[in-house]
Amino acid sequence: MFGKSLHTKRPGGSLPQLVAAENENMQSRFVVQKILELREQGLPLEEMAVLFRSSFLSFDLEIELARANIPFRKYGGFKFIETSHVKDIVAYLRVLENPRDVVSWNRILLLIEGVGPRTSEKVIEDIQKRRVGLSPNMAEPVTTTTKFWMDYGHYPDGVRALFDALKEAAPPTLSPAEKVAGLLRYYEPIMRSRYDDHQKRRKDLEMFQAITERYRDVASLLTDLALEPPTESVVDVEAPGPEREFLTLSTIHSAKGLEWGAVFIITALDGRFPALRSVGSEEEIEEERRLLYVAITRARDHLFITYPMNVYDRETGVILTKPSRFLQGIGEHLLEPWVVES
Amino acid sequence: MKKFTLKPAPGEPLRLVEPARLTIPYRTDLNESQYEAVTSLDGPHLIIAGAGTGKTRTIVYRVAYLVELGVKPQRVLLLTFTRKASQEMLRRAAILLDSRCEQVAGGTFHSFANGVLRRYAHLLGFDRSFTILDQTDAEDVINLIRTKMKLDTREKRFPRKETLADLWSRSLNTITPVREILARDYPPFLDLEADITQLFKAYVVYKRENNLMDYDDLLVHLARLLQERPEVRKALNDQYAYVMVDEYQDTNRVQAEIVRGLAGERRNVMVVGDDAQCIYSFRGSTIRNILSFPEEYPGCKVIKIEENYRSTQSILDLANEVLVGGDRAPQSALPTSS
Repeated sequence: MFGKSLHTKRPGGSLPQLVAAENENMQSRFVVQKILELREQGLPLEEMAVLFRSSFLSFDLEIELARANIPFRKYGGFKFIETSHVKDIVAYLRVLENPRDVVSWNRILLLIEGVGPRTSEKVIEDIQKRRVGLSPNMAEPVTTTTKFWMDYGHYPDGVRALFDALKEAAPPTLSPAEKVAGLLRYYEPIMRSRYDDHQKRRKDLEMFQAITERYRDVASLLTDLALEPPTESVVDVEAPGPEREFLTLSTIHSAKGLEWGAVFIITALDGRFPALRSVGSEEEIEEERRLLYVAITRARDHLFITYPMNVYDRETGVILTKPSRFLQGIGEHLLEPWVVES
Repeated sequence: MKKFTLKPAPGEPLRLVEPARLTIPYRTDLNESQYEAVTSLDGPHLIIAGAGTGKTRTIVYRVAYLVELGVKPQRVLLLTFTRKASQEMLRRAAILLDSRCEQVAGGTFHSFANGVLRRYAHLLGFDRSFTILDQTDAEDVINLIRTKMKLDTREKRFPRKETLADLWSRSLNTITPVREILARDYPPFLDLEADITQLFKAYVVYKRENNLMDYDDLLVHLARLLQERPEVRKALNDQYAYVMVDEYQDTNRVQAEIVRGLAGERRNVMVVGDDAQCIYSFRGSTIRNILSFPEEYPGCKVIKIEENYRSTQSILDLANEVLVGGDRAPQSALPTSS
């Protein structure tokens, strides 16, 4: 390692706290009360963050935050683009852009009522053979030219309807937003029949439509979606509500490069952080140590590291009780021990 | 609008303005080590910038410095971990100097690779309208091939699609044979090695036949172009006179190869990072890239930026202590902070 030691001209500051709670819910309640306390002292919610090793570790806290009416945004979980309904719409756009994209063809064909793997395979074979010829030197991309749309009347009804919808969305004169609007009209009944929570999912698609309005061509839209996907999904993230002020919940990985006035690192419990499965090799353990270092250095003024003392690990049958091994043995002059009482 | 970029004339100087005529007060705006990092231009440089030490600020000023010296912004390449990061840095540089800074080529390794491949993919047997597969797409394709090869109906359990995708990705990114990773991380599947290797071969062929690239392909194909196509390497080397890479501690081996190719013979490459913050090895990143940079680039200058502007000393003391906890041997103990 490049030996170095951070120093600052900012004097002292209060000691970071290591807070033990009897169980996970006590930990959550401590975090909620501390957040409210800090806010009373004038620190806005945007200046606070709760960080954790793995996304699932915040579930209990999320319930307590909702109960206390504290709006929050969570980062580092499921990505918007990875939700299946958004992927469906993207697949329609993809085949228009790259008609050789068999994966997307397969996806959108299987969405059709009555089309199974065999029919899908047949149609794809037909597309490959008759509709998309390669240009000889590969320098020119294959597109959905007039030849692509020739006689598809012999396909089963559902597939014909798909081709109708695609053909309508194909003209290059249409903007990405216009294409998506047309495809959504086609997709709507499919979504309704496939998902019980289609109301919620529709909100995601509305958001997707809004995103497409920023683009002039489908190619750059698809590239951005693949490489720089927007992170929030209405289905998976608590909506922050109408208030503009919100608390940040984040995995440590997603907090890289960011900073807050007050930081809570929750469930710094040995077996969760480092996770039991990460303690295989020396290298893995050292990476977990650096992860804790990253979390600590996100804080400007206040740092609380908390852990529940009684967690049953289902996978191994072990009861986890100790703070993270990276914190054990650190002197009280550096890290002040606290216990939560009810 | 389409753009036509003139090639630089041979012998044309990279920098046109004398340092004495610069307008930004670099000396007073930056601390000693930041200033050194900003104004060191030629040859390889490794900047070790700890948490909260103004790393972003340093890169922003360096971009402005290069542009203010008269380097054409299109000839500066800034590779970052997220696109947001490069946009933010270039925006800030533009505020600091002027809008020329927004012309600097910036983005992630993947988006940069995508841009290059949209120009040259045909050299690798791809059509330039290739589709990019994201993580779950890649898993779906692997699953499809697995079913086609009837590998899912054996008596013995075959790895799940997520495991297979991860295995392949790590093998590529760490340039490690599949067998080695199986032995280390998935010993129960070691005797399926032959089948698994067959499957991966089919996966590679399938993607080529169907004009698909997964995330790893973007990097691997770019690295291949740089290695095997001198005309592509030359075009990129002519284009980019100064290369900067942020978050170098979280790059993988393929990315290090790409940096090497882009640095070219000129070797005007600056990588910035913090070995203490390397946290992405599950994606194949390796702390070795940053640790071995000075050896890989003889004559490299290492600059450490250690003054933190973010946290109170109490918080830094704890951070330093957590870090050295892994290495308590007295001879390697780090100097305590003032």
